Amino acid sequence: MTVSRIDPEGARRIVEARLDRPPQDMLEAAVVLEAWVGVPARDALGLGTEMLRTTPAQPVRSRGPVPDPPDGRGVWREALPFALVVLAIGGWAGPLAGTLGIGVIELALGVALPLTMALQWGLSSRYLSRPEGLALLARDARGHLAAPTLLVAVPGLALGVPGIVAGLLTLTWVGGAILVRRGWSVLYAALVVLAAVAMTGGLWPPAILGLLALVTSLLAAVAVLSGGAPPTHQPGRLGRACTATLIGLGLGLLLVADRSVNWSFGALPAVALLPATLACYWSGTYLWRFQQVIPRVLRGVSAADTRAPDLGRGPRRILLGAIARLVALTAAISGALLGTAALTDASVGGVTVLAGFGMVAMATLVLGLLESVGRPAAALCALSAGIGADVLASQLAGAHVAGAGLIAGSALAVVVALPFAFSTLGDPVTTLATRLGIP
Amino acid sequence: MSHVTTERVRLRPRVLLTTEGTYPYVVGGVSAWCDLLVRSIREIDWHVLPIVAGRRRAPLYRIPPAVRLQPPIELWAETLAGARGPARADGHTDTLPRTLVESLIGWDGDLEALTAALTACRGHAPDVRRTFRSRRGWESFLAGLRTVTEEDVPEAGATPNLDLVEAATLYQILYWVARTAAAPTPPCDVLHVTAAGWAAIPAIVAKALHGTPLVLTEHGVYVREAYLAAARSGESPGTRFARTRLARGLARAAYAAADVVAPVTDANAFWEVGLGIDPAKIHVVYNGLSSPGAPQPPPRNGTVVSVGRIDPLKDVHTMLRVADEVLRRVPSARFEHYGPVTDGEETYGRSCLALHERLGLGDRFRFMGRTTDPEGVVRDADVVLMTSISEGLPIAILEAMAQARPVVSTGVGGVPDVVKGCGIVTRPGDVHALALAVCTLLRRPETARQLGMRGHRRVRRIFDETSCVEGYRDLLLAAARGVAQPEPAIAQVAA
Repeated sequence: MTVSRIDPEGARRIVEARLDRPPQDMLEAAVVLEAWVGVPARDALGLGTEMLRTTPAQPVRSRGPVPDPPDGRGVWREALPFALVVLAIGGWAGPLAGTLGIGVIELALGVALPLTMALQWGLSSRYLSRPEGLALLARDARGHLAAPTLLVAVPGLALGVPGIVAGLLTLTWVGGAILVRRGWSVLYAALVVLAAVAMTGGLWPPAILGLLALVTSLLAAVAVLSGGAPPTHQPGRLGRACTATLIGLGLGLLLVADRSVNWSFGALPAVALLPATLACYWSGTYLWRFQQVIPRVLRGVSAADTRAPDLGRGPRRILLGAIARLVALTAAISGALLGTAALTDASVGGVTVLAGFGMVAMATLVLGLLESVGRPAAALCALSAGIGADVLASQLAGAHVAGAGLIAGSALAVVVALPFAFSTLGDPVTTLATRLGIP
Repeated sequence: MSHVTTERVRLRPRVLLTTEGTYPYVVGGVSAWCDLLVRSIREIDWHVLPIVAGRRRAPLYRIPPAVRLQPPIELWAETLAGARGPARADGHTDTLPRTLVESLIGWDGDLEALTAALTACRGHAPDVRRTFRSRRGWESFLAGLRTVTEEDVPEAGATPNLDLVEAATLYQILYWVARTAAAPTPPCDVLHVTAAGWAAIPAIVAKALHGTPLVLTEHGVYVREAYLAAARSGESPGTRFARTRLARGLARAAYAAADVVAPVTDANAFWEVGLGIDPAKIHVVYNGLSSPGAPQPPPRNGTVVSVGRIDPLKDVHTMLRVADEVLRRVPSARFEHYGPVTDGEETYGRSCLALHERLGLGDRFRFMGRTTDPEGVVRDADVVLMTSISEGLPIAILEAMAQARPVVSTGVGGVPDVVKGCGIVTRPGDVHALALAVCTLLRRPETARQLGMRGHRRVRRIFDETSCVEGYRDLLLAAARGVAQPEPAIAQVAA
């Protein structure tokens, strides 16, 4: 194998033809000459240096890659079973309260809601929101084997029957989150609807709840164990998962701290939750686009340009758009519910309760954003203020306005959290480089 | 304070072997070489520190009981050892991003400043994350990046104007450089680095902190392979710039820190000298194979075998085109390629299948997948083919020669020195020359046999496993004793 002597100009032509552009530097030129032309390393390095010295390269503007837009096709496929689940769970409250007593269900829900939200947020942060989430959970399953038993036993020992009911509800709802993550949301919805039919059909509601919790747990175990090949990545950071758990717990407390909302009164609270939960789901999906929008607005903007235009406009607009969607959908479904209630002489708890749940949804949206962009301290701060306001308002005005605590607490949490959210999205460069890119 | 104590060195020196994306999680030439060393040099207490890119699997090699496998450093993972503890809010590491970008990405980056910055990461591990997540850290990085952009070095070309997305990505990569430097390493008497890239980072810090001798072995040339990958990638100029300059910066730092650089072939040594390494540090140790037995006759059924990952560096497209041309001249020939698709190169793997279909090769060229018997598959060949555009000293070629099979290969890396007179070497990517060589050997079995036998004798004489192991044993024990290598800087392969 021989390669005749090539002069720098000839080398430049060969390298540019091979690369279809000028070489970046002498090393790239040398590598091309060696790998594709067969020039020995010593000669290639010398030629590369000569080439660059005789033909100085011109700086080029570069545009980095941007992520693909999200696939939103699955959103409503998940949302519809979810709505069905909310409605069906609403159907349990009456039969359970009828059998066990209103006080038992009231207390059980007061424990189960915060506990469920805490566990769902924690699990999501550490496992479920990750690409290999179920496989990661399966890998750590040994450490969680006792969790289902503890979830029922600990509240049961502490509170008696209400604690056991709380544990069973928590088990069902957390298991449901795992089934939804596995893509089995229709199966989960079917189970919950079946349970509601059985309870209203006269079967003993506590037994049905126990059976449902057992079946959901077993299915969740199957979902986890069949969740894919052994994971190759690590789960989320434990500290971050703990913070997410606290935020979930806080949001749950925000929901149950308002004593003016009666959770055991038939299907009312669950039905009233429907507009806010569906709207939160939709707006949350929209808000998550900020992860694509941020790189898009930064693409092509030179890192050397210190006078870059207001790059935060796009991401901030996403947040405003998400809030607008949440308000609009909550109002639309709430209006439909109120209209239906007026026609059928049913009660859905009044405008203030619906508005309160809508505000909780907004708080969930904004606090979730803060958690995801690495500002958990701000989220917890807003949440603490919100819970305090919730308790205070429900004591001061709860007797006159149902849901006063929900409205006041959530509104305060949103007011405290929004500036942090806007400032974070308003500086997308720093956010992308630091908080989003460095977990 | 040095970890090296005379008494301990006299007994059993402790060698920390750092790997990058290879041993013990991936099967391949470098991993097989690591496995050989840790199994063969028993008078050393081996500690293996793997660096993996966020994907950890079960070890694919049986780890000998005396070898201690350290928890891997997992890049891009949320958690990493050594990062716990309270951060100090005294701004001690605030300029870390600037120092890293200037010293690693700059063409003439200050290597002393780099070593000091990496060492500071180890000393202030919990501060690394805090610094990189802060606005001050990001702004310090941008200031450093501007300095790099304004460099005026003719051979460095013109720095592309990185956009903010690319700058943010580079910033996060530098964060992982800092996190890797912050990861703790076990006490040892010698550091043995297996690639002049990420694997060198913990060793550079350990050397700076404890004065531990550092031996660097390069199988390929890290910088060269990074440039080759970038040249073929179609990435944006900024991404390409960041990737290649980082590789160059890491290699420069590794070369500067190394007391001995032990490439596996003279061809690598030429690159290393060209990249600024002191020739006096270079001590070539050839790869070797266990002593081959008496060769068996070739099957003489026109089988052409290739062994290697399906990877752009192996230029499988050229191999398929060679097969196409050979089959037109020798229709009875059959090609078999052994080797899996490299992780992350699935698109390339699919492009190979598409080309295979477009050329209509059918069963006449078969992708056989991974093999556990590389010697057996080359034994069943009449000719062994390699079309790589980058190699160090390829074990697959040595295995073919050990089995007395003639080799047709591109003349990259150490191949020309190894194959010398035992096969046919052509220019990379030269389909016609490669095809002609294969046809010649298939049509002239006696010539093929003679070349094969020469190769067999050459492997026994020069590329012997025992010599390879002895070479490293001498090198590592001498380093542990603090003795300089007496051998010539760049050895020449005896003809």
